[in-house]
Amino acid sequence: MTQVVIVLIIIAILVALGFGLIGMVKGGKEGSDKMFKSLVTRVSLSVFLFLLVLFAGYMGWIKPNAVMIDAPVTQAPTVQTPVQK
Amino acid sequence: MSEQEYYVPHGTYWPIIGSIGVSTLFVGFANQMHGAEWGGSVMALGFAIMVFMMFGWFGQVVNESTNGIYNKQVDRSFRWGMSWFIFSEVMFFAAFFGALFYARQLSVPWLGGADNNLFTPDLWNAFSASWHQMAFISPGTELQSGTVMSFPAVPATGIETATPAMVVDPWGLPALNTALLLASGVTLTFAHHALRAGHRDQIVGWLVATIALGVAFLGFQIMEYGHAYHDGLKLTSGIYGSTFYMLTGFHGFHVTVGVIMLTVILYRVQKGHFNADNHFGFEGVAWYWHFVDVVWLGLFVFVYWL
Repeated sequence: MTQVVIVLIIIAILVALGFGLIGMVKGGKEGSDKMFKSLVTRVSLSVFLFLLVLFAGYMGWIKPNAVMIDAPVTQAPTVQTPVQK
Repeated sequence: MSEQEYYVPHGTYWPIIGSIGVSTLFVGFANQMHGAEWGGSVMALGFAIMVFMMFGWFGQVVNESTNGIYNKQVDRSFRWGMSWFIFSEVMFFAAFFGALFYARQLSVPWLGGADNNLFTPDLWNAFSASWHQMAFISPGTELQSGTVMSFPAVPATGIETATPAMVVDPWGLPALNTALLLASGVTLTFAHHALRAGHRDQIVGWLVATIALGVAFLGFQIMEYGHAYHDGLKLTSGIYGSTFYMLTGFHGFHVTVGVIMLTVILYRVQKGHFNADNHFGFEGVAWYWHFVDVVWLGLFVFVYWL
């Protein structure tokens, strides 16, 4: 559920950014106003999303993609087949 | 000049200089990759020609703009030019995000035997699919981070599984970097507002803050790379390492370009090139910075969390 909300907010951010682009291409007073308002929306949504992700992570609603890696000093992939007795 | 008439700027030589620069750069780069001694210096020469071209060409365009030569038709063409550049940028990052999703959701699970098609479980029977680098490490092996591995072999398969250390912790530098970049989006919005309201002194302050936050982001990103690289996450660390460095690396490059662009805009603001009604240069760079900010937000959410 939290993941769906996060993805929806990202889509909303992209839409706001897209409206900002339309305003920029349009130009003039009207376009400039539209661009500025859209970018304010996108910044506000982004800050909200960041806080939501951190809060959801803190509450355990989402789990981080922690990168679990460590490399041996000497690389030796060992695949041991059990000996049939 | 009438509104309909298109201003043809000048008998320009900059495109051919740009072509010579980029060709020299890539000839040098290709030969550098093949171990030619002269590759590096030819590359540097090509880069210098590119920088010369950018300063010269962009400077000429700025001069023409401030001299009031451009009309509305030229303004429109600048805006459309910027939008096509942005389109190419969106497609660029869409391809890399697509690669991330494809590898993580489809191709890696297939290699591990998921789905009933070509990739049967027998094809790679020693391969257990998991996102991130697979490490088979014997117990007692000393790792680069100094820890000594101790874990039991899994009796069922006989394959020893590693208990790897956490390299990229989303709560650490990635979260800090996200906060920095988001803050830069906020300061840039304040600068944008100040420009529209005609408060030049405030624009300078907010722009300097935005540039400083961008530079801080890059500094922490270099630290993060050093940390990850030292712990064994490299461009060659399987599909995860490749996509991680491709996405974050190209993003970092875009932040670098954005910082340079913002610095140029700061200089132009101080020179008085913009006013409340006419500031396309600022708008183009501001949108670009917001875009780079959103790309990072996408990276933070999809690479580190979801």
